Parts: sequence; structure tokens; C-alpha cells
Amino acid sequence: MLFGIKNLRGVIPRSNSVCRIQQCRLKRSKAGLSPEAQKVVSQLSVLSAGRKMPRLIKLCNEDYVKHRTIMKAWSLERKNKIEQQKITLKKQYESMKKASEDLKFASPKLFTIANEHEYGKRFPLEIRIPTDYPPRQLWYYNYVPRQKK
Amino acid sequence: MLQKAILETRRGLAAAVAGGVRLVPLENIRASLILSRTPIVTPDMSEFDKKFYKYQEELERRLMWTFPKWFYFKKGTVAEREFTKAQKYPIPSHPGVWFPKGLPDIKHGRDRRFRQDIILPKKAPEEESGEMENETRAIKLNSRITEADKKNDQASLERKLARTLYLLVKQDGQWKFPTFPVENEDVPLNEVAENGLRRVGGNKINTWNVSRTPAGILKYSNGKLLDCEQSESPSVKDSSIVRDYLIKSHILAGKFVPQDKQGVEEYKWLVKEELEPLLGKAYFSQVEFLLSKV
Amino acid sequence: MSLAFIRPFSSSVIAQKVGCAMVKPVHHTIKIEKRLLSPRFPDLKLDPSDIRSPKFRPRLTQQDRVLDHYYNTLESDLLLIQYRHDQIDVEGNKRRKWDMSSPYHLNRPLRKPRGQIVPSPTIKTRTWKNIPRLENITINCFVKEAKIKPELAIAATLQLQQITGCKPSPVYAKANVPTWKLRPGMRMGARVSLSGSDASQFLTTLTEIVLPRIREFRGISNRSGDRYGNIAFGLRPEDIKVFPEIENNQDSWPKTFGMDITLHTSAQTDADARILLSGLGFPFTGGERVPKTLLNDLKIEDENVNDVVTKNSETRAEA
Repeated sequence: MLFGIKNLRGVIPRSNSVCRIQQCRLKRSKAGLSPEAQKVVSQLSVLSAGRKMPRLIKLCNEDYVKHRTIMKAWSLERKNKIEQQKITLKKQYESMKKASEDLKFASPKLFTIANEHEYGKRFPLEIRIPTDYPPRQLWYYNYVPRQKK
Repeated sequence: MLQKAILETRRGLAAAVAGGVRLVPLENIRASLILSRTPIVTPDMSEFDKKFYKYQEELERRLMWTFPKWFYFKKGTVAEREFTKAQKYPIPSHPGVWFPKGLPDIKHGRDRRFRQDIILPKKAPEEESGEMENETRAIKLNSRITEADKKNDQASLERKLARTLYLLVKQDGQWKFPTFPVENEDVPLNEVAENGLRRVGGNKINTWNVSRTPAGILKYSNGKLLDCEQSESPSVKDSSIVRDYLIKSHILAGKFVPQDKQGVEEYKWLVKEELEPLLGKAYFSQVEFLLSKV
Repeated sequence: MSLAFIRPFSSSVIAQKVGCAMVKPVHHTIKIEKRLLSPRFPDLKLDPSDIRSPKFRPRLTQQDRVLDHYYNTLESDLLLIQYRHDQIDVEGNKRRKWDMSSPYHLNRPLRKPRGQIVPSPTIKTRTWKNIPRLENITINCFVKEAKIKPELAIAATLQLQQITGCKPSPVYAKANVPTWKLRPGMRMGARVSLSGSDASQFLTTLTEIVLPRIREFRGISNRSGDRYGNIAFGLRPEDIKVFPEIENNQDSWPKTFGMDITLHTSAQTDADARILLSGLGFPFTGGERVPKTLLNDLKIEDENVNDVVTKNSETRAEA
């Protein structure tokens, strides 16, 4: 029977790789997979949870209560932080509103310049996202301004 | 009632401006610069935060899938052998052996009840000696506490890397944010502030102006700072009030070096808490929310 | 035996009269999750954030430096940059009313907005409540050759998982294009949506390691974007080799796959989103176009009041 299938495969040329994987499955009983199919299998094994999943965490009641307390404490702290941040931003907003209102009255000309929209403004690349540890050169002191032509 | 009064005075003033009389003389408008150095390292964590993150990380490690060794190390290579040798494998269950922590549940060389510790082989494989040694050299972490921190050198830009530093200067015998008068109405406030900074602190300084819009305002009457309520009230005459518009900027490179005969005697780079004693309570309370807590 | 009262959908049956149901037939529209009704797997009813749930995964495993940077530096700067005094809402292109010239206009759904099919949203004024922030990052990897070699779709999925550390979901072909031999339902690649610390991690790898090392990369185009604050750009297959996860395991990656990265922000317009993303370390290049409607967002009536006042003062002066 197996011999017959092999013969058949010889007659019908199949280039599709799916067929190749299927062929390999047939072959599996005799020899190992072809290297290509082996590669796909190993890729799938990295992707899938099968045999790699750890056991569920089973917490006793006391540990569960502890966990919930920790999470609650954290979320409360974070909530407070966010609220503080909101209040500060509101103050900043009101402050810039007040300043603009005043500038409009004190000097309409300066106000018009200050109130122009700033689309196209970009943060400079020198302002980096802070890292956990400082770079070797802490600060670049030897800055020389570019000559204006 | 009060609002109406304000509105009326405002209208009258607007009319006066249109008529060619400036009710706020140009010399009474000034630009102040809040120049800040943004943090270089991540903010310091509180003890609670550190423990919380540690707890969460342990949970994550416990719930991680088993490391797929076969994908990273091809079978029969030196690297695979080295890696396998470095690992600590759990003891498999055996009939007649008593395990105090329960029977192990081993799949792919990992006890699924516990976290998996991956140990990297210490030495690089011998075949690629020269270059690999350079790459696998242990990374030395720089200290988050710098020389300037140890000396408490408040004029240094390298202090308190985790915090935002603000430039404070001693102008006219008073500590404040550098303040510059507006001389020409055609020059926007942010340029007045930036040019003034270069005049006072040398031009070897690279700054980035956040916005042309002023972030805040401080009002002085006869050299005395008005608090929020006073500056709102219509009783204070507008013509005599000196206005400081606060402009925000970040320093990117270079250094502030006080120039001779420009009115700046001293300068300091300070964090928010250190500003209060120098600025005074009245001044600080009006700019406090503009300054970063971190 | 007690008979429980069951609320019928139709009252006509009980009354044995012809009539229509007064109860709205909501049973078609409201989805019932059988999982929640069944007593069989109590663990699966738990929220994934609950530690007892099998889906539980801790998310706050380390300090999020991108988020910290955003809150400490960017947020207040963005507010100052985008603040405009006397700003008003810019009305979007909305659905139009019918002119009622025909009796059939009565109760007819509203007309399409002028020049488009979907109405555009109103752009609200900038306040401290709506400062743009990065919401999530979507990475989409569509492999054209996967229609001939289906195993490439698997490789692309794995590549995404290696780069992001999150499990991608497969992407299937939707269109039926016989000339390309494309049929609906073919597995063509993968997609993953990152948020929170995963997104921050990916973002920092991108801006600090990958993008600076791509020689041809000049920046994200200023023309990119979907008008409503989501910016997208692409990486070519050879750029992917720069990712540290791929670079350090080159033997396993003879072939890499390009991908499209979409940065979803809460900004209302692309121009605002670009300012935010530049703060997160993305360079931008090319000319920027801002819709004209966005530029005219200031109150005009105030000027009129001033004009009236000045006119009055002039007349007074003449008198």
C-alpha cells in the first residue's frame, strides 16, 4: 500500500509546499521530516503553547487576599497620581489662558505672533526618552552655534 | 458687577490703544525664561514601587512559557552543548523517591510548577574567540549619582539626573528666572527671551523653545509682586504694572556662562524643591504648577 | 409543581387575538455569552485581570520609561504648543438634511456629507483634558508570496512574535483575485496590536536601535496619516534584520518579512499626532500639509467688538 502511494507521487508532480508537508507526514513513520518541514514544525512549536505552558497559579485564600491588597494599593496610588497630574495641567491651562488674555490687552501685536498656530513644530531629537542608567558622556558642552549665512 | 467694571475699563483701554496712546508702555512688558534641563535617567522609584514591580515580574516569570531552546540552538552545535551544560535541570520523578515539594511535572526539561531559570553560558564558545569576547564583555553601568551630586555643585548641569533642572539667576540682587525687557514690538516674546539668554549667558548654548505662547504671567506694581487676586482686581492701574511673561524652553547642549556686565551675578541649576527658598513664597506659588515634580 | 412565569415576546398569543407584539424582540440583538451561563468552567468566567483566571498575565512588570517621559515632560509641553487663545471648535463635514422638495424625503435617512461618504468629526478646542497621547501600536505583516508558499505566513507570524514579544493573530485574504491566485480564507500573514508596556518596549527598540541603523531611513513622511491622528509607516524586509531579536539569531531567519506599523494616537488631527510622535523620538521628513479648515479656528466676533469700540471712540473724538 505504502509502496503504491509512493509510486503515485512519482507520477503526479506536485510543487505545492502544503503537499510537501503532507508528504512528509506520510513519510514520518519511516524516516525523519524533511528539513523544510522540520523548520515549519519548529516554528509552530515556538508559536504554540502546547507543552510549554506552566501550571496555573493556585493561590490559597490568604495569598489571594494579599494579592488583591497589593493591587488595590497600587491602583489607588496610581489614581492619586493621575488626579494630581490632571489638576496641575488644569492650572497650567488656566495660567496660559490668563497670560494670553493679558498679552492681548497689553500688546495686540505681540499677542498675534504668540497666538499663531504651531503645526509643523517638532521636538528635537536631543530630547531623549530617559534611560535607566546615564550615558558615558553626561552632557555635551562643546556646542558651537551654526554660523548664519 | 465687578466683571462689568473690568469690561468697561478694558473697553476704555482698548479705545485708548486704538487712539494711539499706549496704556501699557513697552518698557513695562518683559519676557522671563523658564529654561529647563529634562531628566536624563528614569525617575527614582519609591520603595513600594520597587517591591510592586518585583512582585509582578516574579509572577510573570512564573507564568512564562518554557524557553524554546531548539529554535535558538541547532542540535549538535557547540553553542547548544554549552547552553545545555549551563542549565540546571530538575530531578525527574522516580518510583520510590519521595519529593518533599510534590511530584515534579517536567516538560521540555522544565518543571511546570515553578519558574524557569535560564542561565547563559559564561564563556563564549572557543571557535569565535577574538570578536566575541568584546561583544560578551560585561556591561558596566554608569552610576546614577554623579560627581556633581556628591559635591552638591549647584551650577552643574550634571546634577540630579533623574530630575528636571531649572535655571535660576541672580538679577538685580534677586534670585529669579532670567528676565529681559521687550525693546521692539516686532520681536516675539520667545525671541526676546532666547536672545536675552544668549546675551547674558554666552552664545555657546543650544536651546529649544517649547512654544511662542507664554505659559504664565507675573505682575509687579512698584517693584512688588502682585498675587493672583490683586492682579485681577481693577483697582490697580494698568499703566504702572510691570508684566513678566513666562516663556518655556529646554536646554539641549552647551553651557550657561555668565557674561561680564550683563547684570547676572550668579546662576544655579535647581530642582523644584530647591527653588522655593530662593524665589520666595509669593513668587514660587505663582510658578509652582509650571514646574515638573520629577 | 410550581410554574415559573415566563415573559412572552408576544402578548397576542395569550389573548388569542390578532395583533402585534408590544415587547421589542431584543433577543436577536442582545448577544448571550453561553460561557457565562454554563456552570461547567467557572475559571473561564473570571476577568483576565483576576489572578485566578487562566488568562491572567501581569502587565506592570517594570517601570514604563516612555510613559514616565510623556507625563513628566511631553504632556505639559504639548499643551503649551497646541494651545490657541480664543480657539473654537471646527465643525466637521456632517450629514445634510433633505430639502423636503419631495414627500419621500419625510423620515428618509439624512443625505451623505458633501464630497464624502462618512461624516468627519468636529475638531474640539485644545484643553487640558484632550492632550494627545499614544494609545497603541498595530503591526500588520501581509506576505504576498504566502499564497504560493503557505509556510511563509507561519514564519511571518513567528517573526512578529519574536520582535514584539506578544502573540500575533493570523491575517486571512479577503479578496478573490483569480489572476493572482488569491482566494478568500488563505492565511497571508499576521497582525498584532500592542498597548501599555509592550508598546513602550517596541517603541523604544524602534526609535533607539532600529531606525537609526537603517541607512535609507530619513524619517516618517509628513504626508502619512489617516487625517484623524493615526500615523503609519512601513519597514522593508531588509530593515527587519536590524531588530536585535532577529540580528542575534540570523541562522533562523534567512528570509524576513516587511511590515506596516500604525501608531494610534488620541490626537484629533495628524498634525497634532506628529508633534507628539516627534517627542517620542520619531523623526519626520518632507513637506507637511495642514487642512485649511484647521487654520481658521479662531473666534472672529471679538474683533468685531473691538472694531465697534474703536469706531465709537472715533466718532466720539470727532464730536
